Amino acid sequence: MSVLLALVASGLVGCGLYMVLSRHVVRMVLGLSLLTTAVNLVLFLTGRVRSTQPPLIREGSERLGDSADPLPQALVLTAIVIGFALTVILAVLTLRAWRAQGTVRSDELRAARALGDPSTPEPGGDR
Amino acid sequence: MLLALLLASLVGSAAAWPLGRTLGQRSVGWLLALLPAALFAGFLRFAPIIAAGREVVERRGWAPSLGVELTLRLDGFAFLFCLLVTGVGALVVIYAGAYLAERTAADRARFLALTLLFMTAMLGTVLADDLIALFVFWEATSVISFLLIGFDVDSPSARRAALMSLRVTAGGGLALLAAILLAGAVLGSYSLAEVASRAPQLAGTPWIGAIVAGVLVGACTKSAQFPFHFWLPNAMQAPTPASAYLHSATMVKLGIYLLARFEPVIAVVPWGRDTVVGIALATMLVGAFLAMRAENYKAVLAYSTVASLGILMMLVGMDGPMASVAMIGFLVAHALYKATLFFCAGTVIHATGLSNLRLLGGLWRFLPVTALASMLASLSMAGLPPFFGFISKELLFEAQIESSWDVVPMTVALIVNSVIVGVACVVTLRPFFLGRGRVREVRHREVTALLVGPMLLALLGLVISVEPDWFDRTVLGPAVSAVYGAPIVVNVQLWHGVTPMLLLSMAVVTIGVLLFVYWIPIHQRLRAQTLLDRYEAEHAYDLLLRGIEAAARRVHALLQRLELRDQLGVIFGAAAAFVAWGLLAARVTPRLPGDWGALRVGPALMALVGLAGAIGAARARSVLGAMIGTGLVGLVAALEFLTYGAPDIALTQFAVESLVVVLLTAVLLVLPLSAPSTRTARARWRDAALAAAVSLLLFVALLDMIATPQPTEVSAYFGAHSLVDALGRNVVNVILVDFRGFDTLGETTVIALAAVIGWSLLGPRGRERAERTPAHAAPRAAFVLEFASPLFFRLLVLLSIVVLLRGHDEIGGGFVGGLTASLAFAIVALAQGVDEARRRLRLSPLTLAGGGLLLAVASGLPGLVTHGDYLRHLWFELHAGSVQLEQGTTLLFDLGVYLAVLGTVLTFLFGLAQEAER
Repeated sequence: MSVLLALVASGLVGCGLYMVLSRHVVRMVLGLSLLTTAVNLVLFLTGRVRSTQPPLIREGSERLGDSADPLPQALVLTAIVIGFALTVILAVLTLRAWRAQGTVRSDELRAARALGDPSTPEPGGDR
Repeated sequence: MLLALLLASLVGSAAAWPLGRTLGQRSVGWLLALLPAALFAGFLRFAPIIAAGREVVERRGWAPSLGVELTLRLDGFAFLFCLLVTGVGALVVIYAGAYLAERTAADRARFLALTLLFMTAMLGTVLADDLIALFVFWEATSVISFLLIGFDVDSPSARRAALMSLRVTAGGGLALLAAILLAGAVLGSYSLAEVASRAPQLAGTPWIGAIVAGVLVGACTKSAQFPFHFWLPNAMQAPTPASAYLHSATMVKLGIYLLARFEPVIAVVPWGRDTVVGIALATMLVGAFLAMRAENYKAVLAYSTVASLGILMMLVGMDGPMASVAMIGFLVAHALYKATLFFCAGTVIHATGLSNLRLLGGLWRFLPVTALASMLASLSMAGLPPFFGFISKELLFEAQIESSWDVVPMTVALIVNSVIVGVACVVTLRPFFLGRGRVREVRHREVTALLVGPMLLALLGLVISVEPDWFDRTVLGPAVSAVYGAPIVVNVQLWHGVTPMLLLSMAVVTIGVLLFVYWIPIHQRLRAQTLLDRYEAEHAYDLLLRGIEAAARRVHALLQRLELRDQLGVIFGAAAAFVAWGLLAARVTPRLPGDWGALRVGPALMALVGLAGAIGAARARSVLGAMIGTGLVGLVAALEFLTYGAPDIALTQFAVESLVVVLLTAVLLVLPLSAPSTRTARARWRDAALAAAVSLLLFVALLDMIATPQPTEVSAYFGAHSLVDALGRNVVNVILVDFRGFDTLGETTVIALAAVIGWSLLGPRGRERAERTPAHAAPRAAFVLEFASPLFFRLLVLLSIVVLLRGHDEIGGGFVGGLTASLAFAIVALAQGVDEARRRLRLSPLTLAGGGLLLAVASGLPGLVTHGDYLRHLWFELHAGSVQLEQGTTLLFDLGVYLAVLGTVLTFLFGLAQEAER
């Protein structure tokens, strides 16, 4: 069972990485979203899937019985929300780039290059 | 008391900046000089202790667990320096007040404050017993010297000189730091006194060479020894009061101070003393030679300072008690007369606007008192009785005769001292007394403030030698004893009888006068030798700088011009390569899990669907297709979470996927839907190979992880204490809200910040544009959606509140609740338009997010008040009729998270929906 999860996570990392290396900005954003999901799965996997019981203390007992590991779950929960926020921010940036520059290819988004190459020495600089 | 003085100096210097702007020009120098004068008096109170041969030590714990202490030590040597620094400092401040009369008050304040801060840094350096503290103050003097040299920020040559001085002295400082850290690591202590006393222990280690080399480089760069001497003449770009203070009397002496303190360590290495004396001799010769060659008033003084520093360095390197006596004596004499000469140079340059010695002459008519001070100082510099310079020269020769060094240092010293005599004559006689008529008028007359400094110092050079008793007992003697390491009685007298030293002095004076008489021809001959310009050390510095910049440019062109995807490819490829190489090199075989578990159809299908979705997303040729694939993957992930016992996360993931669909669709409606491949086929195969390699490595690593047993102590602790201590049955929620509440608070802050980003990217501009474009009604959505949306809205909001309230004991919580509520508003926005959704919210979503964050932060305060622990949650029992409720501040925290998440998602939702409607 864990092996299946591991397989899915690795597969997701591979696909996500493939998409992130694209020049199309939307593909990059979606690829990053895939990577985030994959990492969440990996985090969850550190809890070693043994029991499928949710980590709730049953009525009548004072401590947690045999259940899934609660600690990685707590980590993953906030990670999902923050990953979601990141994806949305990137999408908004893509939108702004499209409105400002009219392109969604990363090799055509070159507004900073127009400022010039920082490695050329200033004429008459401090010597 | 020492610490109090140091702190007073620091505070006073900082206060001098605003104070100096408000005071008038005539009084600012005099008033601000009260600080150094007061410090001088403060240090003078230690005189009886120092004269009795004792020292003052003050310890203040700084970081006791690290063994770091702030220790201040005032022994004879430090006492001498403190008096010198504060005394000359007071005179410099008075002088600068008048010298900078034409500048703005802001400039004056800046200069005086920097001078006073420099004084503080110097005091810190000589008082510090802890080597790290010494290093910090050492670098502070370098930085403030940089600021003072580059005081005329508009002048390129001043900037260049300032950068040069900083690079050289700070570079030396780095070497010094290396030496300090090595010594501290070997001895286990950073105390200067301990390092000096345990020097033989250092000698046994293999690091001793590096330590001595580091200290030498640090000292030689600071004291402008060969080959680092070139920064000092360039430092003359500074305003003259700074030159008088830093570059003649105090800062450049720091290298000598350091070497004198580290003398036991240097003496322990066989090549130590020889190297020091060798460098010193080279410096003396170079300084003397260049002094004869220079034409600029301040440059001549600067080069002669280099030569004098060489003499001091030589005396530090020589053994024997007389060497220490001569070193201290010369240190004081040089400080007194050099500062005076710089003051006079400053007055002359300030008055005439000229600085070339060949153009100046006959100034005694216009600047009589300055001429007198200059003459007194020059007589001391030339080493004529009855001045203190004469005594110090005699001591120098006596030390040389008595030491184990023979002819070579003696000859060099003879030549160099003659040149110094010549320079002394040139620097006084030419501008002031000869060449009558060369200068017709002066711009400024002498002012009292410009005269106090030079006259006082010049007269001091006379008084000390005539009445040496108090000075011997209190200042010279203890300083020499501190340097030599054993008590020495110093008996400085004017007349010792006809000794070899006297004969040497007479010879030096004669040759010096000859040099002066023939100054013009010698000077011209030397200047004509342009070949020497090519071999100047400064030239090497320029070449080095240019080389470094060229190399940097080449590296930049090689590495930084890559496209984003290439950079990412390099990062991932390198990471994968390193991990793979590590695995292979260590010959580690990954463990495989023993029990693979039965393969059930359900989970297997889910995994297949997930992978299919991912691959579909990767290969999709349209944006919509990619999004559908990604959404599918997210849903499968949620199902996996649900299957494997994580219902909280599953709920969160479901909600997030729905919201991602809603939000991203709004974006995608604006972008072109077709997304053809942007890579060539070959690039695609290469990327696929890289992705496959990384994912394979990850799979192997995950298998290994699954096979190793998991450490469960932390989870067991949470499981055992969640109900008992934190009164919650949902362990995940209790971890988030109670045990690790501060982490969650940080994450809530991140979410709220995302709201700010969203607002700034989408908000105001969106609203502006919405006002400009003609408002059109939102397109009518499908009838079912429109009919059902108010009902769903209310249901979902209610559901979200229920989820929030039950989160502590059952599945739910603030995050899930907030996301559910966002879904409610999303439905309204989709069905009835953004304006309707906004209306239902009533508040601005950003306000909501901020309010949520504030609430979460505030929920931790009651615990702070009652128990002293922030975010310690308190529980209350509430009775409402027959209903008994137990609630705690955890609910407030969760509510804060709920509102923050809701506000953030709605910021994006409203903004994006608005963009989509355009």
